Amino acid sequence: MPVRGVVSPGSAGASMNATQRYGARMRGVGVLERVGIVVLLLLLAISLAAPLFVTDPVISVGPAFQPPSLQHLLGTDDVGQDIFARVMYGMRTSWLSAVAVIASAIVVGGLIGLVAGARGGWVDSLLMRLTDTFLALPGPVLAIAVAAALGASLRNTVIGIAVVWWPWYARLVRGEIRSLAARPHVDAARLSGVSRGRLMFRHLLPGAIPPVIVTASLDIQILVLTLAGLSFIGLGAPAPSPELGAMAARGADSLFTSPWIPLAPGCAVFILAVAANLAGDGIRDLFDRG
Amino acid sequence: MTFSRDGRDLHALRGVDLRIAAGEIVGLVGESGSGKTVLGLSMLGLLPKSARVEGVVTVDGVDITRASEPMRRKLRRSALGAVFQDPMTSLDPTMRIGRQVHEVAGSTAEVLRLLAAVGIPGGQRRLRDFPHELSGGLRQRVMLAIALAGKPKLVIADEPTTALDVTVQAQVLTLFRRMRDEHGCAILLVTHDLAVASTVADRICVLYGGLVAEVGQVRPVLDHPGHPYTAALMTSRIRLQADRRHQLPVIAGEPVQPSTDPAGCNFAPRCPAATPLCVEKRPLLTVVPAQGGLAACHYHAGEDVARGLSRVAGLWGPSVPTAGDGGVTVRRLSVRFPGRRGLRRSEPFDALREVDLDVNRGESIAVVGESGSGKTTLLRVIAGLQAPTSGSVVLGGAGRMPQMVFQDAGSSFTPWLTVGQHLYERVAHLPMATQGERVSEVLNRLGLPAEVARARVQQLSGGQRQRAALARAVIEPPDLLLCDEPISALDASLAATVLNLLGRLRRELGFGMIFVSHDLAAARLVADRIIVMTGGRIVEEGPPDNVVDHPSNPYTQALLASVPQVSTCR
Repeated sequence: MPVRGVVSPGSAGASMNATQRYGARMRGVGVLERVGIVVLLLLLAISLAAPLFVTDPVISVGPAFQPPSLQHLLGTDDVGQDIFARVMYGMRTSWLSAVAVIASAIVVGGLIGLVAGARGGWVDSLLMRLTDTFLALPGPVLAIAVAAALGASLRNTVIGIAVVWWPWYARLVRGEIRSLAARPHVDAARLSGVSRGRLMFRHLLPGAIPPVIVTASLDIQILVLTLAGLSFIGLGAPAPSPELGAMAARGADSLFTSPWIPLAPGCAVFILAVAANLAGDGIRDLFDRG
Repeated sequence: MTFSRDGRDLHALRGVDLRIAAGEIVGLVGESGSGKTVLGLSMLGLLPKSARVEGVVTVDGVDITRASEPMRRKLRRSALGAVFQDPMTSLDPTMRIGRQVHEVAGSTAEVLRLLAAVGIPGGQRRLRDFPHELSGGLRQRVMLAIALAGKPKLVIADEPTTALDVTVQAQVLTLFRRMRDEHGCAILLVTHDLAVASTVADRICVLYGGLVAEVGQVRPVLDHPGHPYTAALMTSRIRLQADRRHQLPVIAGEPVQPSTDPAGCNFAPRCPAATPLCVEKRPLLTVVPAQGGLAACHYHAGEDVARGLSRVAGLWGPSVPTAGDGGVTVRRLSVRFPGRRGLRRSEPFDALREVDLDVNRGESIAVVGESGSGKTTLLRVIAGLQAPTSGSVVLGGAGRMPQMVFQDAGSSFTPWLTVGQHLYERVAHLPMATQGERVSEVLNRLGLPAEVARARVQQLSGGQRQRAALARAVIEPPDLLLCDEPISALDASLAATVLNLLGRLRRELGFGMIFVSHDLAAARLVADRIIVMTGGRIVEEGPPDNVVDHPSNPYTQALLASVPQVSTCR
C-alpha cells in the first residue's frame, strides 16, 4: 500500500505507550468478534474455576429427572447428578483438550515446519513427505483406531486427534518460513555471521507466529466440535465422567420427557463453538491489521 | 489533508495548491514522505477511508474527494488515467494484455492503435501475451496504453520509470512527451528524481513535508532556485561532470515528521539560511523575481544556500588501493541458473560467464550494468550467498566475511528485532564489555543518536535506515564492503549523503568496496575503477574518467547517453 509508506516514514507507534497501541488496534475489531472474545474468556474463567463453586459432578445430589430450579440451575439427570456442575466440568474438559491438541500440534508441527523450511533441500523433502503421510490419515478414523487399541479414554482420543492435527501446522509454518527465508533480512543476518540456530529462532520463527496464532484460534472451535462428536459416539471418557458429547448422547433418550438433560450440554457445545469462532475471527482481524 | 492512523494524526499534505492546465506536463518532485504520492492518489479519488481531507481536488469541475463513488468512477473513466511504479503489480497477471487494454479501449482496432502508439512492436501477436511474458519496459508501455485508452484529460504517473533500467527509462520518458503532443493530455509526473522531471516536464512542483516549496517553469526554477530545498536538491544531485576530488554538497538533517505540525517553515530545522522569523512564521508562496515562479521562502534564499553548500563541501583525502593481502580474486567465475522442465518450462540462464576480477586491498570498484547483466549475482557469489557453477572466488586477508549493503536498507533488517540487536549480533564474539563500546562507537561514527539502537527499523526515517545498515556493516570493519544499488531508490540529497558516507568510511577504515549500480554518474564518483557488465560478461574496464569520457564499448556509450541530466543554462 503506497499510501501507508508515504504518510508514515517516521516513527509509527514509537511515541505511543502499550495501552494506546492496544486501544488503537482493538478499534479494528468488529463488535460481534469482541463479544466472542469476551464470552470465550468468560467461559474459560468460569470453567477453570468450576471446582470452586459447583458440586462434584459425579455424585448424585438429589432425585433424578428434576427440571431446572434454583437449587439445580439446569436440573438433574437420570441418576440425579447436577447437570449445571457437569456442564461446567464438561466445558472445562473440552477446552483443555482442545488446547492440549493445539499446543502439541504447534510444538511438533512448528518445529518440523521450521527445520524443513529453514534447511530446504533433502531435509525439507523428507520432513514434508512424512507430514503428507500423516495428512493422508483420516482424523476421526485414526482416533477410533487409537481408542480401539488403547481403550476408550479421553487421553487416547486426544492422542488420536493430536497425531493427525500437527501436519497442518507443519505445512503452515514451513510455507511461512520459506517465504521469509527468501527475504533480504535473512541474507543480511547470514552475512552478520549468526549461527544456524539463532537464524532459525530469532530471524525466521517470530515471523511465522502471527499466522499460527490465527489458525490456532480458529482451530479451537473445530476441535471442540470434533471432541464432542467423538465423545458422542462413545470415544471418550467412560460413563460417569462429565463430557459434553457423552452427556448429550446419554440424555438423547429423554429428549421428549426431560429435554434439559440432552439440551444443556448440546447448547454448551454450541455456545463454546460460536464464541470460539467469533474470537478466532477477531484475533485474525487484530493480526491482519498488523 | 490529514491521515489518521493508530489514533494519531499524520499530516501527509498541509495545504497544497496546484493547478494543472490542459496539455501540460507537471513534474512533482519530493523525497519519500513529502506527500507526492498522496497528492497523486487524491486526484484519482483513491485515498483510503482513514484520510481526512480539507480543501478540494477539482477534476474537470468536480470535487473528486467528495464525489459519490459512481461519480468518481465516471471521472476516472472519462478524464483520468494512471500509471504506477510497478507495472507487474498493477496489471492483472491472469489476463492477456490484449483483453486488459480492450476493457477500456472498447475495440480491437483501438487496442492495436494504442499499442502501436506506445511503441509496442508486433501488434497482433502481442495481444495474446500475459504480463509476465513482457519486459519491464513493455509492461509500463501497456500500462500507459491502458491509461490513454479512455482519452483522459490527465494522466497521473507515479514513479513510472523508477523500476526500469536507464536505457528503458529514457525511452519511456520520451514516450510521455510524445503522448502529450499527440493526445493533448496533461500529465502529472510524480518522481523523486529531479533529472527525470526536468527532462520531460514543462513546469515543476517541489514538495517538502506536505507543502509546496517551489513551483514554476522547469528551466528558470532550476537555474535560479528560490527555495533552499530546491537549491539543495540541485547542488547535491549526482552529475557526470561532478568534481571527483570534492565531497558532494549535502544538506544535513532529517525530513519533517508527519506527526508534528511546526508553526514556521517546515524546512527551517535543516536550512543553513534559517532565521528566527523562519521558525515563527510559515512562509507563503511568493513570486521569485529572478525567475517568475513561486517559492515558499521568506528570503528566496535558494541561490545563496546553493553557493554556501558548494563552498563547505570538503575535499576527499587520497584513496589508496594497495596490492597485497585483503583483496579478492575472482577467476573464470560462471553462474548458470538451471531451467525448469514440465508445465512451467523455462530456459537455463547464464547470469555470469567466465568473469575475472581482481580487487586490491582498499580499492573501490564500481560495477555498472542493467538488470540481467549479472552484477548482483557477482556480488552474491563474492558474499557467499550464491554458489558458483564453476570458477573460484578467493578472499584475501584474515578471511573475514565481506559485508553487504542492500538496495532497500529497511528490508535488510529483521522487522521484529531492534537495530541494537542486529549490531550486537555482529560483535557477539567479543567480550561483553567491549560489545557495548563498539555499538556506541559505530553509532557515533555514523552520526546516529543512541536511541536508534532501541528502535525497530520501521520506526526510522529513510536516511537513518541507510546509516543503520552501514553501521551494521562496519561495526567490525570488513576487508570488503559490497554495495548493491544502495542509492537507486533515494532522492538526490539522501543519495549524496550516502555516497559521502561511503567515501568517508572507506578512507577511515581502509576497506575495499564493490559498488554495484546502474548509474554511471554515481559509479564515477565512488570508484577507483569502473567495470561495465552486460549479459554476464565484463565489456569495459578502466579508470572512471576514461570510461565516462572515452567509452570504447558501444554498450557503455548507450548507458552514458541515457543517464538523465538536469539541463540548465549554467
